[in-house]
Amino acid sequence: MLILVIGGSGSGKSAYAEDLTIRLSGKMPRYYLATMQARDEESRKRIIRHRKLREGKGFVTVEQPRRIWEALNGMASGSRQGGTDDGRTGGEQEKLPRCALLECMSNLAANEMFSGEKIGEDEAADQIFQGIVTLSRGLAHLVVVSNNVFEDGMRYDPSTMAYLRLLGRLNRELAEAADRVVEVVAGIPLALKGPERTEEIKWGS
Amino acid sequence: MRLYLGGYAQGKLQYVLEQYKTGPLRVVEELPRGEGDGEIIVVNRFHDWFRARMEQGGCPERELDEFLSRYPECLIISDEIGNGIVPLEAGEREYRERLGRALVDLAARAEGVERILCGIAQKIK
Repeated sequence: MLILVIGGSGSGKSAYAEDLTIRLSGKMPRYYLATMQARDEESRKRIIRHRKLREGKGFVTVEQPRRIWEALNGMASGSRQGGTDDGRTGGEQEKLPRCALLECMSNLAANEMFSGEKIGEDEAADQIFQGIVTLSRGLAHLVVVSNNVFEDGMRYDPSTMAYLRLLGRLNRELAEAADRVVEVVAGIPLALKGPERTEEIKWGS
Repeated sequence: MRLYLGGYAQGKLQYVLEQYKTGPLRVVEELPRGEGDGEIIVVNRFHDWFRARMEQGGCPERELDEFLSRYPECLIISDEIGNGIVPLEAGEREYRERLGRALVDLAARAEGVERILCGIAQKIK
């Protein structure tokens, strides 16, 4: 199952998406696909803070700031079999179906568009969307977090507007492909697509 | 009149066109003058028109009233622009205030209001 979770900054979308991934994965291994690039001290601190927040939740972190489909290699290689971030052992679970939480689309889109070789909106959109489709096929469940950054009415420079169009398009394409789309407002999940009341969803695999 | 709201790049026009596949539609980006030919007018990027009329020293609120009396069956599509930091620049603030109030008024008069996020519409009135 593919689920898109969207919300504003500080909306509680990350916490919701983590809980959702935990509920969905049950006894399956769960991976956290981190997209933030550790370029400076501030982002390194943020990454450490986010890791702390996830401690005890049983996620294996895979750093994948670009080429998101390659995260599957990280899961299959066995190099992370030693256990989860908080010390749970992986062991036999490697052979079971697996779940992942991708956080977040806005970082991934920015990394693909602005770092490395310059690519256009359309190329970036196709590459990222296909990458997520490939990724989700290798997983029992994939939860993707995205940001609602489209409602401030600002007219930014052309490259920022191109980035907003890219992220808007990816959100639409993912929403179309997703089994469920959830908007999180002040920590409250609102179902945009899928079962009416999110808390009544039966989370069996 | 029906109102369609949502952020930038959320697929609002595409959604409206899918809803009205059969009807004769005319998509415009500024309010047409004169009488129509019975086609349904779709005002796309209403917020941009509103802003342009403000910058040109017009009175978009009054022009909108006149337009609605001529085209009561129109469809209006506007970006949500108020969910961000309030800008320092006075003109930008005035634009958000006046457009916001115009949208409140439109929503109150509309037969239906839908909000589009990620290409998905929610009926909010």
